Order: sequence, then C-alpha cells, then structure tokens
Amino acid sequence: MAVTKIVEVPISAEVPIGPQHPALHEPLLLRVYADGEEVVRVEINTGYNHRGIEKLCEKNTFYKDIFIVGRVCGICNAVHANCYVRAVEQILGIEPNNRAKYLRVLSMELERIHSHMLINAVMAENIGFENLFMQIMLDREMVMKAKEILTGSRVMADFMMVGGVRRDIDDVKRARLKDILLKLRPKVEYYKKVFEEDETIFKRLAGVGVVKRRDALAHGLLGPVARASGIRIDSRASDKYDAYGDIPFKVITRDEGDTWARMMVRWDETLESIEMSIYILDKLPSDGNPVPDERKLPRRFPPGEAFTRVEAPRGELTYYVMSDGKSLNPYRVKIRTPSFNNIINSTFMYLKHTIADVPVILTSLDPCISCMERATVIDLEKGVKYTVPFKVLAGGKP
Amino acid sequence: MALSSFLNLLRRVRLVESVNDVIKIVERYAVEKGSIKPDRMLFVVKPESVRKLFEELVDKVGYERFYLSTVVGSDMKEENRFRLDYYVVILPEERTIVIRTYIPRDQPVIDSIVDVVPAALSAENETYDLLGIVFKGNPALRRGFFVSSDVVDKGVYPLRKDAAGV
Repeated sequence: MAVTKIVEVPISAEVPIGPQHPALHEPLLLRVYADGEEVVRVEINTGYNHRGIEKLCEKNTFYKDIFIVGRVCGICNAVHANCYVRAVEQILGIEPNNRAKYLRVLSMELERIHSHMLINAVMAENIGFENLFMQIMLDREMVMKAKEILTGSRVMADFMMVGGVRRDIDDVKRARLKDILLKLRPKVEYYKKVFEEDETIFKRLAGVGVVKRRDALAHGLLGPVARASGIRIDSRASDKYDAYGDIPFKVITRDEGDTWARMMVRWDETLESIEMSIYILDKLPSDGNPVPDERKLPRRFPPGEAFTRVEAPRGELTYYVMSDGKSLNPYRVKIRTPSFNNIINSTFMYLKHTIADVPVILTSLDPCISCMERATVIDLEKGVKYTVPFKVLAGGKP
Repeated sequence: MALSSFLNLLRRVRLVESVNDVIKIVERYAVEKGSIKPDRMLFVVKPESVRKLFEELVDKVGYERFYLSTVVGSDMKEENRFRLDYYVVILPEERTIVIRTYIPRDQPVIDSIVDVVPAALSAENETYDLLGIVFKGNPALRRGFFVSSDVVDKGVYPLRKDAAGV
C-alpha cells in the first residue's frame, strides 16, 4: 500500500561528532541527527581554525604571499604555492624553463604520494587496523625523506618561486630519490593488495557512502571522490600546466562510487605518481638553471587577472589573483580548496547510514580542515526532510 | 591504426560539440565578452539573468555536463559595485568559463542559485559572510561561522575594502 500521508516528527537524537574528531586530528563538528541508529540529517559546523588568509594576502606583496599561501595547508603546501605562483606568472607573462617545470611536478607528485598514503593509513586506523596504520605511516616516512632531499624540508617546502623553483638537484640526489621510489613501489603495491583482498576491510568499506555520478557533479564534488564515481576530471590532464603535458599518466576512475572505491582510486593514483616521479627523474631536462635570480624579478605588476587550477591530492584547487596595477599587493586573492566543496556540499552522503559509518565516510572524503577553514563554512540541510509514515507512529515497523 | 585515429577524430568532434552547446546558451545572455588568463572565456551577464542562465543550463544540458567550480566575489570600491564571477567547468573537456556579473554596492542582493545548482552552497555562504552579498532564496545564509564572533558583533564584512579593524 502506498503511503499517502506523512507526518513530520521533529524529535531526533543529536549526536555531536567533534570538534575533537574521531576521524581526523583536526577540529570540525559534525552535528549528526539520528533516528535510532540511522542518520537523518547532518549539519557541519566549523570555524575553529579560521585565519583570514585571503585578507592577509591583500595586505602583503605578491612575493610575500607565496609563503602565506604555502601555509594554508601543511600537507599540500607545494600545490597551493604552485597554483598561486602560476597565477602571478600569468599576470607577469613569465614562463619558467623546462627543468623547473619538471622539478615542480616532481615535488607535487611526491606530495600526492604521501598525502594519499596518509589518508589510507588514517582510514586503516579508523576501521580498527592500527598495525596497518603504523606500517603505512612508517613507509610514508620514506616519501617525506624524498621530499626533504628535493626541497630541503620534510613538510613546509616553500619550493616554488615566480619563474622557477628554489633549489636544483644534482645527480647524487637524483640517484637517491630514484632509489627511494623504487623501494617504495612494492610496498604500496602490497598495501593496495591488502585493501583489495582483505575481507574485513572490504566489508567495512564497500557499499558505504555511495555517491552517484549525477549527485557528485550537481554538488560539485572533486578529486578522488568524483573519480571514484566515474567522473573523469583531472586538471592535470585538462589544463596540462607545468610539465604535465609531457609526462605520461593515466587518470584513474572507478564506477562503484563507495568508500572502498575512493580508497582504491587513491592507491592507484599513488602508484601512478610513483611511475611519474621515476619518469621525471629519468628524463629530467637540463635546459638551464631552474632557480631564477630573485633580484631580477619584476618589481612592477601590470593590471590583470588570472584563474589557475591545480590538481591537489584532494581534488581541483583554484586560485584567482587580480592585480590592479597600482600597488605591489594583489587586489584580490581567492582560494577555493577541494575540501571546501567536498566537505560542505556532501552532507547528503551520510543520510540513511548508521552513526558508525559517519567517521568512515568522512575519512573517505580526505577532509583537510585547515584547507577549508580559511573560508566560511555553514551547512544547514537544504530541502531534505525526514518523514515517518503513520504506520510507524502507531508503533508498527516501517 | 586507421580506425583508432578515426575514432579519435570522432571523439574530438563530439567534445567540441559539447563545449559549444554550453557556450551557445551562455552567449545568449552575455552583454559583453572577454577572457581571463590563461584562456578562460569570460561572459558578462546582467545580475537578474544569472539564475535564468543556470536554470537553462541544467534544463538543456543537464548536471552531467558541467559543474560549478567556485564563486568569486570582489569589492570594486572605486566603481561602487561588487563583482561576482561564477566559474563553470564544462565536461568532459574540462574547459573553464567565467560568468561575470556586477551588483550595486549599496544594494548587494542577487538571486540564489543553490536550489538549481547545489554546488553553489559553500560558495554562496562564504561570499555572504565575507562580503555581505545577500543571495536571495538561500535558506542557509548565516553570519559568524567563518569570521570570529567579535567581527560579527562589529558588523564588519572582512573582505570589503573599507572594512575597519580586521
């Protein structure tokens, strides 16, 4: 019998998850409303980590801003700096040489490897595999070392410069980097196999938080989340910025759209990034010094605007930079990080799942709170109402 | 070999068509055209037609052929108006186009598109909290989630050029 009448019941249990979060060690409050165990509504509440970076950028010079935008996010600082620097280069009309472009891509791919390994490790921890977490984190340390060899710093690289990069590498470093990557590859292949074949992991992740292709696009979800729903978007492949036009790579997509697919997309991308990094080290061009002379960089900025996109580990990251031609400071810098879309617009994903699934789904989005929190975040459910048939009100089973 | 290159050509032709569909719709609303570096087509439209434009896009080409990447609001104080840029990425080719509109600074109100394109939610809320642009019809607009409460108490929108004390 079709239900003809519906009564809205305004009572549900509110379960605050966070701000000290079960999924990630970053502050975010998910206000989950549950009907029994079932999630009926989710509100996202943030603002615990806001720093006002866009305003700060307007108050500092174009060159100082390179260091400010690097601090938006610790894990993906190279992509932030790269995106900003390329926008400034567009305004100035400068182009770095090929060696600099290859080195930039290398630093960004190393970042993708360690970022994807981190979130897979956190996922392992969240579903109760603490040993796996420690193993992955141990091997991730090799990538951090590689990043230190390349950029001089484990985490905060500050590697990008207008017109090039800040350091060059010699053949000794090149050999060491390649050695690390070759050692890392079988380990990542093994972890991928674990996620693929272990029955417990598969049962915990498969079918949880399914996103359909159409929903993902309508809500503007990006990166591995979109690619796991069968959407082939990758700004590396479409914009071909820096050296991505020269380096062969595959865009990984899957059709399942669930949490497991998102984690598998990340493992496959990690392997792809390792291949790309090895390719770069083998084919590194030597067409001059990649480090520009800082004293010879332009001191005047023509009026102009640029909108650059970069494929961060979490998805498409965009920068809009505008110069009014009157001062050394940018008139407007707008940063839109992938987590900003992925976290705020994705509350529909939790509905109909149990409370225990919430941390798993959230982790599968690879949330980066400090990325997101330079901007405001509000989400009140839009248009989603939960309804209970008369039958249940009368004490019957749904 | 010949077959694969032929298929490739066919694919390319279809890609071009898909971009053209979207651009044709946007062009009809445009009052001015331009470009933003690197190679992003720019269409300036009237503020009242933004919502109609997105409605028509969803209607004619559907959600699977584009997504809204972001909305950039800027304070053009000297011209006494706000500027809103809607960045739309056309799939499957991933070509970014910009839909730009201007609204007066003393009456910063525009129709919300959040019920047409849900992806606008995060961007509209952010623009409201930082610039004070009201998106009429967005039920989730609220101050104070992003900026700290002392700034809200002062009634300051931090990204406005005349914002004091931020």
